[in-house]
Parts: sequence; structure tokens; C-alpha cells
Amino acid sequence: MSELLLGRRRIAVFLVLVLFTLVLLSSQSRSADRRNVGIIGQAILTILLPVQAGMVRIADGISGMWERFTEIGRLRVENARLRAQVEALNREVARLREQATAAQRLERLLDLRAQVSYNGLAGRVIGRDPSRWFSTVVIDRGSRDGVTRNAPVVTPEGVVGRVIEVTPFASRVLLIVDARSAVGVLVQRSRDAAVVEGQGTDRLHLLYLSRAAQVEAEDLLVTSGLGGVFPRGLVVGRIMSVKREEGALLQEAEVEPAAQLGRLEEVLILLPRQ
Amino acid sequence: MSRALIYGGLLAGAGLVQTAWLARIEISGAILDPLLPIAVAVGILRGATSGAVVGLAGGLLQDLLSGGPLGVNGLTKLVVGFASGLFERSIYIENPLLPAVATFAGTLLSEILLVVVGQVTGLGRETAGALPRALMQAVLNSLAAPFLFRGVRRIEVRLERSR
Repeated sequence: MSELLLGRRRIAVFLVLVLFTLVLLSSQSRSADRRNVGIIGQAILTILLPVQAGMVRIADGISGMWERFTEIGRLRVENARLRAQVEALNREVARLREQATAAQRLERLLDLRAQVSYNGLAGRVIGRDPSRWFSTVVIDRGSRDGVTRNAPVVTPEGVVGRVIEVTPFASRVLLIVDARSAVGVLVQRSRDAAVVEGQGTDRLHLLYLSRAAQVEAEDLLVTSGLGGVFPRGLVVGRIMSVKREEGALLQEAEVEPAAQLGRLEEVLILLPRQ
Repeated sequence: MSRALIYGGLLAGAGLVQTAWLARIEISGAILDPLLPIAVAVGILRGATSGAVVGLAGGLLQDLLSGGPLGVNGLTKLVVGFASGLFERSIYIENPLLPAVATFAGTLLSEILLVVVGQVTGLGRETAGALPRALMQAVLNSLAAPFLFRGVRRIEVRLERSR
């Protein structure tokens, strides 16, 4: 009997609660903004909303930290990608610069070829003498290209040297700074004749210059055309200092080569016109 | 400490956690609702009337905190809490799967009721994709149910001891 009563009481409580909720719901659906929390709801919210706001702020903080953490990972990947891109672009820039400077050098060689009465054959330096850096270089032109022994080798800046060995596909050039080299020259301003010899260093030695010759530093030396190797008028170098010894019949000078012999890349081999 | 105060605190805590934190973690449109497993647990452990009261209180609190129409969650959790209590004596509460299974069924019932109440009162509840969302909701609630059930049971044991 009590079980039955308990069951009925349970159902009654349930129905009352359902009724209460339905009334609440219908009042909500009738209200303008579909929400009317009443005094009790307002009181509960007054207590709980600040707590809820605090918890939301904590969640926002954690969420922000997580976003920053993931952002760092993303930025690292992005950074690596951009670095690789910069490196690739730098390589491309270096390649294009190299091409541009090579084009400039070749353009100047072409100008020089037009100026001299020789056939100019452009060649590339493919080797240097490792034991004596400033003495000889190997170029990629040989007898198959018409290169002959003693052919003059020049750059737009000035005389480089002459060919001393010829093979079918390459030639060895003796630079004018080699101690075995001697070139007949004229002082361009005063037209005094002399000879420049190599010293095995990066400087030339001017010899056999008359004591009466009026030469001074910065005077330009050009080939005299005597000796049968170099055509007349090619720039050899510039006088750095003049040495006049008391009682000597001749004067000497130190000369800086016009061609940058330590940084040769392309040269022009002068071949007699057929 | 009175039972009402303890359950009030538990419901307020669960409601705040849900609206402030769990609401951010949405899985296939479903958000873990800890108030429902609590209502189910109270219904199973204390009977239909207690389940209904706790369900109603938890649902109303949820409505208050979430900003929705007052009574929608209240009604559904009231029914779920009451329905759980109807099995009070006919189920073996030591079964470890009981909380999860009861919560799964309770969540599905709750989702159906939410759709019905929304349609009847015109307070709205999107019906498109309701079934997958309801299933996901049931799975999420079922996963949390064993822990919440254990918590509610511990409260009940302590309250019994303190008498």
C-alpha cells in the first residue's frame, strides 16, 4: 500500500514539476525577448556571472597561450621556407651578376678587337700556375683555333703577356710580370723608348730609359711595336716611381701593370690577319 | 552540510565549467554536458523524485548561464532525471557500464525532447543534422558519466555517514 502511495506521490511531484516548467516555458515564449529570468534567476546570475566571467578569462588566457604556441611552430616552418627562398634568390642574383659582369667584360674585349689591326680571339683563363701565381696562365684556345707561339695576349685594360706553349685545345701564356718577360715600350707622354721586365712579383721594372728622358710617376707606358711580338700602342702599365742614380747614364722606374693579372678571366689573343 | 547546498554547489560548478570551458570544445556539433550525467546518477542512486529535482535545477541553471530560453533544458533534464529514477530498484548499480549506458539513453531522450520542446514552444532547435549530433552528444556524455557517477555516489556515501 505504502509503495503504491509512494509511486503516486512520485508521479504527482513529477507532474507538478513538469507543469511548473511548462508554465515557465510558455511565459518565456510569450515574452518579447523570449527570456525572462525573474528575481530568483537574477539573484543567481548576480552571484554566478562574475565567476563565469573569471573562468572565461582563464580559458581565454590558456587559449591565447596555445594559439601563440602553435603560432611559433607555424612561424618556424614559414621562416625555414622563407630562408630557403632567400637563399635560392641570392644564388640567382649571384648567377645573374656573374653573367652581367661577364657580358661587360666580353663587350670591352669586342671593343678592343675592333681597335687593333689584328684578329682578336677571345679566350677564357682555365688554369694558373700554382707554384708561381703571377707568371703563367692557361687559356682554352689552342692551335685548332689558330693560336700560335708568341701571339700577344691582352685585355681591355692592357697587355697580359704572350703565348709560350700551344697545344691543340689550350695554350700557356707567359705574363709580363714573369722574370722571363721583356716588352719594348714607349712613355706615352714623352715618347721615350725603354724596356719593361718582369720581376716575378706583381710589379714591372722599367729599364734602359735615357737619363735625359722627362718621365714622372703616373706616366703611361705603351708597347713600342719593336721586337715583333706586341703591336704598337697597347697599354702596358703606369709608372709608380722613378729612380735616378747619381752618375748613372740611364734611369729606372717601377711600373704597375695595367691589366689586372691576378684576376684574369677572359682575354683576347691577337692573331695576325691572314 | 545539507544535501541541497552540496548539490547546488555541484550543479553550479558543473554549469559554470560547461558554459565557460566545455562550450569551447565542440565535437561534431556536440558539447559535453556534465549536468545530464549528474541528473542520471542522482536518479539512479536516489530515486525518480530526486533525479527530477536535480535535473530540473541543473537544466534551469544551464538555461540561466547559457542565455537561452529558461525551461528548455530544465524540462528535458527533469524528464531524464525522473526516467533514470524509475529504474532505481530494478538495476544493479555496481555494474561498471551502468552510468555510461544510462547516460547514453538519457542523452538521446534529452535530445529528442529538446527538439520536440523547441518545435512546440517555437523557441527553436535546429533539426537538420540532429541525429548525428545527438549520437555524438550521447557518446561524449557517456564518456564522462562513470567519473560523475562515482563523484555523486561518494557525495551520497558521505551524506549517509554524516547522518
